[in-house]
Amino acid sequence: MVTSADLATARRAFAPYASWVMTVLTTACPRNCYSTCAMRVTVEHGRITAIDPHEGNLATAEGPCLKGLAYLERTTSPERILHPLRRTAAGGFERVSWDVALDLIAERLGAARREHGPQSVFYYTGSGTKGLLNGCGLGFWRRFGGCTTTYGDLCWPAGLEATRLTFGDNRQSAPWDIAEARLIILWGKNASETNLHQMRFVHQALEKGATLVVIDPRRTPTADRAHLLLQPRPGTDGALALGLAHLLIESNAVDHAFIRDHVLGFEAYAALVKTWTPARTAAACGVPEGQIRELADLMGRIAPMSLCAGFGMQRYTNAGQAMRAIQALLPLTGNLGKPGAGWIYANLATQIFGPVKDPLDFYPPERPDGVVRVSVSTARLGADMAAQQEPPLKVGWVERGNPASQNPETPAVLAALRALDFLVVVDERLTDTAREAHLILPSKSLFEQTDVIGAYWHAYLQLRQKVVELPGEVRPETEVYRALGQRLGMTSDDLAFLPAPGDAWTEAWLEARLAPHGITLAQLREGPVLAPGAEPVAFADLTFTTPSGKVELLSEEAAARWGVDPLPDHRPPVESDPGGRYPLHLLTPNTKNGIHSQFLPLQVIRQLMPGPSLEMGPEDALARGLKDGDRVRLFNDRGALVLSLRIHLGLRPGVVVGFNGFGAEDGGSVNLLSKGRETDLGHGAAFHDNLVDVVRA
Amino acid sequence: MMASQFTFDPNRCTGCEACVVACWMENRERQSRPWRTVHTFNACGHPDLPVFHLSLACHHCESPACLEHCPADAYTKDAATGTVTIHADRCMGCRYCTWACPHDAPKFNDRAGTIEKCTFCPERASQGLEPACVARCPMEALGLSPLEAERPLVGVPGLPASATAPAIRIALLRRPEPPSLSQRPSAAVLRAFLDALLVVPHAKITLRGEWVLLLFTTVIGGLAAWMGAAQLGGPPVQPWAFLAMGALVLALSTAHLGRPGRAWRALLHLRTSWLSREVALVSAFLGLGILSLLAAPGLGPLASLAGFAALFAIDRIYRVALRTSPWNLHSAHTLFNGLYLLGLLAGIRSLALVMGLIKAGLYLHRKRHFAATGKPIRPQVSALRVGLGFLGPLLAFGFHPWLAAALAVLGDLVDRGEYYDELEVPTPQRDLVESMRSRLGEAG
Repeated sequence: MVTSADLATARRAFAPYASWVMTVLTTACPRNCYSTCAMRVTVEHGRITAIDPHEGNLATAEGPCLKGLAYLERTTSPERILHPLRRTAAGGFERVSWDVALDLIAERLGAARREHGPQSVFYYTGSGTKGLLNGCGLGFWRRFGGCTTTYGDLCWPAGLEATRLTFGDNRQSAPWDIAEARLIILWGKNASETNLHQMRFVHQALEKGATLVVIDPRRTPTADRAHLLLQPRPGTDGALALGLAHLLIESNAVDHAFIRDHVLGFEAYAALVKTWTPARTAAACGVPEGQIRELADLMGRIAPMSLCAGFGMQRYTNAGQAMRAIQALLPLTGNLGKPGAGWIYANLATQIFGPVKDPLDFYPPERPDGVVRVSVSTARLGADMAAQQEPPLKVGWVERGNPASQNPETPAVLAALRALDFLVVVDERLTDTAREAHLILPSKSLFEQTDVIGAYWHAYLQLRQKVVELPGEVRPETEVYRALGQRLGMTSDDLAFLPAPGDAWTEAWLEARLAPHGITLAQLREGPVLAPGAEPVAFADLTFTTPSGKVELLSEEAAARWGVDPLPDHRPPVESDPGGRYPLHLLTPNTKNGIHSQFLPLQVIRQLMPGPSLEMGPEDALARGLKDGDRVRLFNDRGALVLSLRIHLGLRPGVVVGFNGFGAEDGGSVNLLSKGRETDLGHGAAFHDNLVDVVRA
Repeated sequence: MMASQFTFDPNRCTGCEACVVACWMENRERQSRPWRTVHTFNACGHPDLPVFHLSLACHHCESPACLEHCPADAYTKDAATGTVTIHADRCMGCRYCTWACPHDAPKFNDRAGTIEKCTFCPERASQGLEPACVARCPMEALGLSPLEAERPLVGVPGLPASATAPAIRIALLRRPEPPSLSQRPSAAVLRAFLDALLVVPHAKITLRGEWVLLLFTTVIGGLAAWMGAAQLGGPPVQPWAFLAMGALVLALSTAHLGRPGRAWRALLHLRTSWLSREVALVSAFLGLGILSLLAAPGLGPLASLAGFAALFAIDRIYRVALRTSPWNLHSAHTLFNGLYLLGLLAGIRSLALVMGLIKAGLYLHRKRHFAATGKPIRPQVSALRVGLGFLGPLLAFGFHPWLAAALAVLGDLVDRGEYYDELEVPTPQRDLVESMRSRLGEAG
């Protein structure tokens, strides 16, 4: 049998004749997405002609979603940037050679370092592409003499930190374990759109008779496969969890043995939840008491229970505590360490290449090294960039991110980017951020440089293999850094942290990093490999690496590090006054058609989703005299956006939904309205603490 | 090779549309628009109904309506695999199959001027591979299986009732009821939005889009009546007027095709296609008519017969899209119009009276039916239609047969205009909305 490794060998051997042969190669999608699908890519005459499932990744064996298939357009899109672009005096962009571009950057970096010190250079990276080689960026800036960069993360920190505080580490069972559950709670997760491969396993459980409960203010496609949909007021998930615990304890539907052996702080916690009566919970959450009782009854009666939380729900200023409150339901009912049971949030088994895992990895260092200044909160990007002193920020470098549309508070982000003397943006297309650049460098696509990627839902290490040559004048970032380093006077020793130019050296570089873990590139060329330490069933050893060695419902560390209540009590989020000037909660989720600002501009996607819209429930629309299809103005004190209105009869009153990822070309980002604010735990971004109103445009 | 069917499980489908992109990936060189569509039942989220998706393309029916009705013989059905194929090189772009197919499978390619649709991926099949949409469905919702004789298809929303026997099996929803929701908008609030949310977007047939056909059918009806009346003692047919009008509508209707150069192919499917028969009969009528006027007057009666036979064929064509009460008879049927006009022009009082009464009866019945079912009745248009088409000829008949005929034609033109707006082609989308409406109606 011919393996993909043989094919890869053949490809290298026949490289000079590559345009004449057809090959099928293994690679993987590196987007910031749960699924991180393995793919087989067919290359004919040097071009990708098909993308197919790769059964080696058991989590995504049936193949990628429409976005993965849309790569066929994305990599050869006429919108793709294929050479450096320099801003002109008139505000447009002109094509320049790499020499001109690199000379210009070197000159501006050199001047900034000379006049203001290296920390006047701001290095920003987003989550646009996974890969070990991404680490080369910070390596470069260290050798440059330092820089200023961010801490925290836009995506998932409150949940990660809550999990770490409660269970000691972010571990979770293999994706297919949920098929063994009898009760599945998808809490704030719309897996049908954001992790559709999980739904395959959920369906397997449902086919075996499991019960599905969804908790979401929206009636999502996921909710429609559920038996029960609880639609709490945004930002009250913690209260709901406490109310459920109240009922579980009251009806003695708790696992006393598990609590005795493995739980810290149960008595204090029980005293807390005693105050969360069904009536109080129902009032706080805006959910009928009957539904709360129904869910508590299911939780008390049906095991094993898998509880899977999404990311959107932890983007509030009270969300870390809410996540802790939700997690408590698992030890309470003994649903840990067993097949079909457990907490499904993040699987960090593939984070084996650094000294610490997330979220600790993205916190500001306890002892700053004086070289890299980690002083800008990702959540408060605009305000914190502007606030930097000694030195202030002068030159910016953005790669793998589009903060102008994706970070909170777009106006503040734009102001901070525009205040820089010089901004370099590396990207595949002209994003809102790239439009702010003085110089744009073209970036490789996932198919054009080999790298090794991890995941956060399954535990596979995968090869994101080079399958086609770099188009146009595109260079991988590793070679850009090398060329820039040489211009800035770095020696070849200084630059030894980078792989030497050429595919063979990139592979050698990766091989060296895989070797300590007993994994080879040849293995990865065959298909995905489970990371060492991947667990079929998480916490099966019932070992929790918290300070107490137990599941901590009461966390002194939470209080000490974050200044929150050691118990996961519920407090309303900062923006939650239903009687105030802005009566509507704005939720800004992703759709199945994009990952933040990626994929949405593609033609093949546009034909399915022509543009952004705002979803509203019928009660709120009637009160405002609005109807389906109206042009409406969505606004608060921070900004405004004009969108087309869609009435959804299943959306909870008091909530509107505007999908994130659209930018200036489509009228503006939803982040024109969000506030740069951190979550209570983990330095996350509280995007959903966002009250607005809507009028006819 | 065995005949195959698609299988689809709405329990598994998340509506991700990877199948649509997979189809594009496979066929992008020849595809101008998606061949597969993911439909959503209850996309607006009515609290009394579940939401689910249906991924539908061509069902490669056992009795394909496209094949039966295509005048150009551009479709084939493979006896071994069951695949229904459109041969673009044989298609003249009349688009009649897009009306005839209740599953909305044939798509018109504006650029090529021909029809395109799902091919069942024969190249993949020959390599032992499943169709692209099936192979790349990440949810195992779309599948392929050997064709089953018994497929429970009746009552599945999205599959309009038809005699086509679609080769698809659609699994039942595991839970036909919606999830238990936290709240339910009041009936009054729902009522305020429901009508607007339950509209079928993009009617396939509109008067604006089909004015050429309106002109064509009216002119052919008028010429047939004139030719017939001339045989029965009415005013003689003016050869040049006949020629000019005949040529004009033939030219317009040919230009209306995606591939006018292939218009001759319309005669290739007389065996099953009423459109093919109509083209043959209209051609015979115009040809015999010219001959009788210019050279062989003895052909007049035969020409007239061909003309009225053509009118019968025209009415048969529209049966795929006409849903009217009673018995699918319409007051603007071209045969009725032609006979009415014949009576008026030939001075046959009894024929004019009987046809006028039949037409007026059908018209009023239809409007009453509209009023009863909540469809718009357009009183001004009705007054115009009745005044021009019925009262006008009645008053003018005694002293001015031409005026009576002209008024009748104008009245019928108004009626025929409404006729084109009333034509409705069943589609999966319409079926989903209608089944939603009827389920909500049952629920009270």
